[in-house]
Amino acid sequence: MTWVRTKLELERMAPGEALQVRCSPGEALENVPRSAAEAGHDVRVDGAIVRIVRR
Amino acid sequence: MSSDRRAFFKNLAAAAIPAAPEPEPDPWLERYSRQLVLPEWSEAAQRALQDASVLVVGAGALGSPVATYLAGAGVGRLGIVDDGEVELSNLHRQHLHFTPDLGVPKAQSAVAKLGFLNPDIVVEPYQAAFAPEMVAGQDLVVDCTDSFETRYAINGACCEAGVPLVEGGVVGLSGLVMAIRPRETACYRCAFPTAPRDAPSCAEAGVLGPAAGVVGSLMANEALKLLAGLPGALTDAFLQIDLATPAFLHVAIRRRDDCPDCSP
Repeated sequence: MTWVRTKLELERMAPGEALQVRCSPGEALENVPRSAAEAGHDVRVDGAIVRIVRR
Repeated sequence: MSSDRRAFFKNLAAAAIPAAPEPEPDPWLERYSRQLVLPEWSEAAQRALQDASVLVVGAGALGSPVATYLAGAGVGRLGIVDDGEVELSNLHRQHLHFTPDLGVPKAQSAVAKLGFLNPDIVVEPYQAAFAPEMVAGQDLVVDCTDSFETRYAINGACCEAGVPLVEGGVVGLSGLVMAIRPRETACYRCAFPTAPRDAPSCAEAGVLGPAAGVVGSLMANEALKLLAGLPGALTDAFLQIDLATPAFLHVAIRRRDDCPDCSP
């Protein structure tokens, strides 16, 4: 569900805007960066924080 | 490093990261999460469905999958039109109706199941034959009837009112699906100016349940694409489905300038 919430938040943002998502270890921390990158966004991971710049 | 040791260190690293606080449960998000997560889908697409009013004409073999998928997907208002009652010979292919429903009006039987499926939407039964006035105010009509006379009546009413239409039919192991944006793309009569003279009905020729399921599912898919504004709608074409072989044939068609239903 973390990626679904993240995806909807990204849809509301303008290109170039950044979103920071704090993910729980495990599925969310694996899925969110991978799915965001697959969607073409710029992604950086720092510990539990996933920073996504909307494409 | 062995896989056991790798897993140990991975778990150790993960354990060092505190869990993020759990967000408030959101039933809307959870109900539609598997379509919201699709790259092709969006919150705007979901809201478009929620605001839409769709008329499903026929609550039988095609109407069952169509209405089920549209209700599940979150179409805000569904009207179910059928003047028949549930019969024993319906049950192998009309999955909205069960044995205890025998004798119950199909529109009522269908609405009862759809209400269980998605209580967040409005589903209204119309225990009546199709009438052109029913099209007024709809965002989309899905023709799930099995009569050519009714099919042309629905096509004519949708062309007149400018309401998008998804057409479909099934008999035996074959079927047909097409999507129509009236006065923009070819309508059913553009593709088939006259009804075939000797087309057998399902009662005569038979029909396999899964064949109706496939055709109905394709119709629901086209309906969702039209409602959400997704590209790739099956317009200016029809899909001919042969599930015996099996084979799918995409047939391109064009609007007819002399079409009595949709010509300017």
